[in-house]
Amino acid sequence: METTRQIRMAAAWPWISTGARLGLAAVWLVAGSLKIGDLAASARAVYAYQLMSYDTAKIVGAVQPFLEIALGLLLLIGLATRFTAAISAALITIFIAGIVWAWAKGLRIDCGCFSTGGELGAGETPGYGIDILRDLAFLALCGILVWRPRTRFSLDGVLMGER
Amino acid sequence: MSKGSRDRAIKARQIVASQKAAERRRTVTLWTSVAVVLVLFVAGLIGYTVLSGQDEGKVTTPASAVDEGTAFATGAGPVTVDVYEDFMCPSCGNFEAATGPTLKQLATDGKITLRFHPVAILDRFSNGTEYSTRSAAASAAAAEEGKFIEFHDVLYANQPEENTDGLSDAEMIELAATVGLTSDTFKNAVNEGTYKAWATQVTETFSERGHTGTPTIVVDGKTLTGENNTVPSAELITQTVEKAAG
Repeated sequence: METTRQIRMAAAWPWISTGARLGLAAVWLVAGSLKIGDLAASARAVYAYQLMSYDTAKIVGAVQPFLEIALGLLLLIGLATRFTAAISAALITIFIAGIVWAWAKGLRIDCGCFSTGGELGAGETPGYGIDILRDLAFLALCGILVWRPRTRFSLDGVLMGER
Repeated sequence: MSKGSRDRAIKARQIVASQKAAERRRTVTLWTSVAVVLVLFVAGLIGYTVLSGQDEGKVTTPASAVDEGTAFATGAGPVTVDVYEDFMCPSCGNFEAATGPTLKQLATDGKITLRFHPVAILDRFSNGTEYSTRSAAASAAAAEEGKFIEFHDVLYANQPEENTDGLSDAEMIELAATVGLTSDTFKNAVNEGTYKAWATQVTETFSERGHTGTPTIVVDGKTLTGENNTVPSAELITQTVEKAAG
């Protein structure tokens, strides 16, 4: 029956959202921690997109991994989940735009998404299509959280007085 | 109390309760969002502070370095060939094995000025020992003793694989001894990492010049690549040099 299905879905959404929240947290924590040890390499990865001066790329490259880890931790504890997911979505959209730009311009770079990327060796082909698909999947996780931000085991839940 | 008015009272209480809950949700959403903005701002600030702290290292530029203090030259020919290499990079190892002798011959024959730029872009491949930076710094110490090429060659002949610890400082000093590089000045410079900040600066200059990978070969200011962005062959370099010489 339609009504029981709706009730079941209503009960399932917090769990689906919880999965999305923890998944997105893991994405940010991994992405950030892979870059944080070598900020100079992170700067080179940003500079490789040829979108900004080297001095600007240095700042962006240094700030970005810290932001990623902070977002990961915020999602992990579930604080202001909808807002954090929206910020994540904005960042990922910028990343996708960057990859599309590199692709359109024919740059041969590693996107630096989960690495300190930058250069590609001879014979290596950039996997722009796959990078974009992966980012779109992450964007979908953000979408779930913006749409249904109520999750289990979250600080939001505690503060709202749920349970 | 009539049944109707009791119902109304219950309904009123429910409305008040749900209004209170909504009010609480609004307050919580507002303040948690403010907290998130603060956390992200602080995180960004930490990143910026760490970056500023890294820039403060004192750079000791080796006296023998040329080209804004970023390279070591051999030969004095009319055509300049710049080679940017990372001692950890396997592709550079292949390039050295295949093309190194040709380049050195061209320098010896007085056709080119060969300039080596030891950059460190692959520190992440040596299990945290930063072999790229250490080896580039050690090569500067060798250059100060007039043995850059010899040390450079012996490092490539004994190139460690990626994702190993690389050569330790002691191992580099041992290898240096096999090419007659035994001075205390050299050993101290390697052990103390005297030229490490310099290696970082060379790498920055490399990036600022728009190069992204190693080996990068530049002939008279123009980056030279083979077909499909491959590393240029010895023949292609020789041809390009001859053309540039006119």
